[in-house]
Amino acid sequence: MSTEKKSFSRRKFLQRGAIVLGGSVVASYLGCSPMRRFTAQKVESMDLPASISSLKPDFWFEILADNTILLKSPKIEMGQGVWTGLAMMAAEELEVSLDKIKVEHANTGSGLIDNVNTGGSSSTSSLYEPVREVAATMREMLKAAAAKQWNVDISAVKTENGTLSSSGKKATYGEIATSTKEWDEPKTPTLKPKSAFKIIGKVVKRVDLKPKVMGTAKYTLDSELPDMLYAVLVKSPYLDATIKSVDSNEATKSVGVVKIVREGNLLAVVAKSFYAADSAAKKVVVEWNTPNKTQQTDLIKLVTVGNGKEANIQKEGSAKSILKDNKTEVFRQEYRTPMATHAQMEVNGAIAHVEANKVLIITGSQGPSQVRDVVAKAIDIKKDNIDVHTPLLGGGFGRKAAPGLAAEAAIISKLVGKPIKVYNSRQHEFQNGVYRPNTHHVLQAKMTKDGTIEAITHDQATPDMYVRNMVGEIGLKLLGSDFLSAGHGASLMYNVPNKSVSVWNTDVPIPISIWRAVGMFPNTFAIESFINELAHKAGKDAIDFRLDMLTDKDDKIIERSRKVLETLIEKSGWKTPKADGVGRGIAIGNDRKSIAAAAIEVEIKEGKIKVKKVTNVLDMGQIINPEGIKAQIEGCVMMGISATLYEELTVKDGQIEQAYFSQYPLATLADVPEIQSFLLEGDDVPYGVGEPPLAPIAPAIFGAVLNLTGKALRSLPLRLS
Amino acid sequence: MKIDFKLNGKPTSIDVDPAMPLLWVVRDELKLTATKFGCGMAMCGACTLHIDGEAVRSCSVPVETIAGKNIITLEGLSDSEANLHPIQQAWMEEQVPQCGYCQSGFMMAAAKLIKENPNPTDDDIINGITNICRCGTHPRIIKAIKRAAEINNQNH
Repeated sequence: MSTEKKSFSRRKFLQRGAIVLGGSVVASYLGCSPMRRFTAQKVESMDLPASISSLKPDFWFEILADNTILLKSPKIEMGQGVWTGLAMMAAEELEVSLDKIKVEHANTGSGLIDNVNTGGSSSTSSLYEPVREVAATMREMLKAAAAKQWNVDISAVKTENGTLSSSGKKATYGEIATSTKEWDEPKTPTLKPKSAFKIIGKVVKRVDLKPKVMGTAKYTLDSELPDMLYAVLVKSPYLDATIKSVDSNEATKSVGVVKIVREGNLLAVVAKSFYAADSAAKKVVVEWNTPNKTQQTDLIKLVTVGNGKEANIQKEGSAKSILKDNKTEVFRQEYRTPMATHAQMEVNGAIAHVEANKVLIITGSQGPSQVRDVVAKAIDIKKDNIDVHTPLLGGGFGRKAAPGLAAEAAIISKLVGKPIKVYNSRQHEFQNGVYRPNTHHVLQAKMTKDGTIEAITHDQATPDMYVRNMVGEIGLKLLGSDFLSAGHGASLMYNVPNKSVSVWNTDVPIPISIWRAVGMFPNTFAIESFINELAHKAGKDAIDFRLDMLTDKDDKIIERSRKVLETLIEKSGWKTPKADGVGRGIAIGNDRKSIAAAAIEVEIKEGKIKVKKVTNVLDMGQIINPEGIKAQIEGCVMMGISATLYEELTVKDGQIEQAYFSQYPLATLADVPEIQSFLLEGDDVPYGVGEPPLAPIAPAIFGAVLNLTGKALRSLPLRLS
Repeated sequence: MKIDFKLNGKPTSIDVDPAMPLLWVVRDELKLTATKFGCGMAMCGACTLHIDGEAVRSCSVPVETIAGKNIITLEGLSDSEANLHPIQQAWMEEQVPQCGYCQSGFMMAAAKLIKENPNPTDDDIINGITNICRCGTHPRIIKAIKRAAEINNQNH
């Protein structure tokens, strides 16, 4: 193995060293710092696949003295199991058992920041190579160091379960790491071939399982700082409300109140406990200006195809002219999806401690670096002086890709001069949030006499979900429309000779953001429901109808999609006779190269749609954590059922009408169907699993209801009457 | 007002506003954070704990009502990690949690359910537990409760 000696500049060492020494855990492992530096530099020099941003995700390892390895994850654990996947990849190349890897979130002050939010089901896929490469390099460095100490050739050093050995000599990684002063750094090591995997692809327990079962897992609301005060925000249930007048006389007298803080439209009661702050906040009398008068009908009207700015994102053949020339033969349908909220179980919250030139933020966010930027702006302080720590997230689903309450906590902490903990009430979460927007879809097709699609168009009307957030107003203008997030999944995957897809962007007077699966959810509902209708109309089997349009043998996605559908036919018993009173439906989606399909059986019980059985086939490429993937599929099935049958957020007089769980029902234990999941490895790299299985659920239920009742319910949530 | 009660077997005394919900007493005053805040209106069940053996949503229980009573939170459900409550054993076996936030409440509700009903059917579970989970761990929760009942019955 060729090696090169790296000399690190003293300045860089001090910079990194100083930052690293900030944490007490780290301080006692100074001996490992060259390796830590190495991994940092290694990551910096690598060409990583990052979504949209060219900035690279970063991470690093530390070998602790008890021979465990600390993996500082740049990706946020919000339940999707990313810690486990990354730990498995690292353990595989490090030749240690999974329980030897301890995972924590990297903090922004570590100097290694992931500028790409955790989302888009991209964490594992984007880090598949980098994590393994760094881990393999570390392993080789440890071997080289041991070889030198023992005066043997590196090829004679074996690694097994965190231990190095050679002809009778033995040492743990921790021992070698602490006793080595100068490291030989190998060039890119060879990665294990798939056939040699001992951990990747195997059933394991998730690394955060035990703390979550014991109740010791720490979330934002469980975190504390010494001398911390609590703040409760006083908010209007109306959107865009501003303060006209405040009477806080009664509140000030309330027990435990320290201060009533007002800065602009930020109004907060600061007290010694949450209970004291909350009790006092109820006594604050505020008159609000409520300029936002939006009604539900306004939203429906605004978000309608033909309104707003059109961006054509897919065009093959001459679909539009064919439809125009054959008006009487065109099958045209419209679909709508409603506004929705994330309703993650943990409300948004943050802890801030603002000192003269130092800010500590603790908040559960999908984008800690964005939190840092927002706080820097809110209290006018340099980004470098802000350190954002991320506890575990009690659910994300896109809600925690928005800034949360870090800026509010920082403003209040600055004014009060003490650490502040602040969190939303559930009502705030419902009424002062960011929302999945309503969408409108027009689909048109002309079929030939034998029932194949000759031309098809899809027009989606949607507000921008995230592009403005990512690339700003100018970026949105340049793109013409948000087809990256809201329009994700608007394109048609089938091999139809003539097709055209447009996304129509309209702004709405409602705060909009991403929601699990982003554009895939509304678009797959519309497109795949329409395909189900076309198959129904042509009198064809809904899966055969799709297979007949997945014909391009040179397209790997098409080939993988065929395999997924063929597997679904077999595993779901698609072609076997069905019981009386049961309807069957199916849908498929390609979500960034993860192909997910579901076959669903429904029945009608007491006038309501009941999902009886869901068979999922997912081809997400290389399997990392099979049990984790199955958990994600189950989660997508339940969230899919919830969004398909129950969830709808509405606005009245500029106020979100649903303020409590009782007004926004979610799927419960009573909705659990029989769930089967089958995984295909149609590629040798991993693709996403957290969102792809969600999109097919709604259109598959639509198809099953159509199959059972003949009714096409073209608006979510699906209602029989 | 001074209130005495037992918390996870330990005699505990607290002097707070009698109207303060038990949830905040447990979390903020006594620093046991397994019991979660989800809605504050007894709708989601994230704050479920046991008062004298009953599964209760602690966000809506004024602390004055628990004087002399026995409170068990998830921290006190099993006596040690080596000797987990059947519910926790089953939760580990079935790998129930995703984000984990609602799980304490579900486990406390489930522990009460299998104590009262040693062989719960799907319907017993569905009707007996109305907590909310957003990650979609519901299928595993049902499996784990049945598994816990099995473990429980083997132990006795």
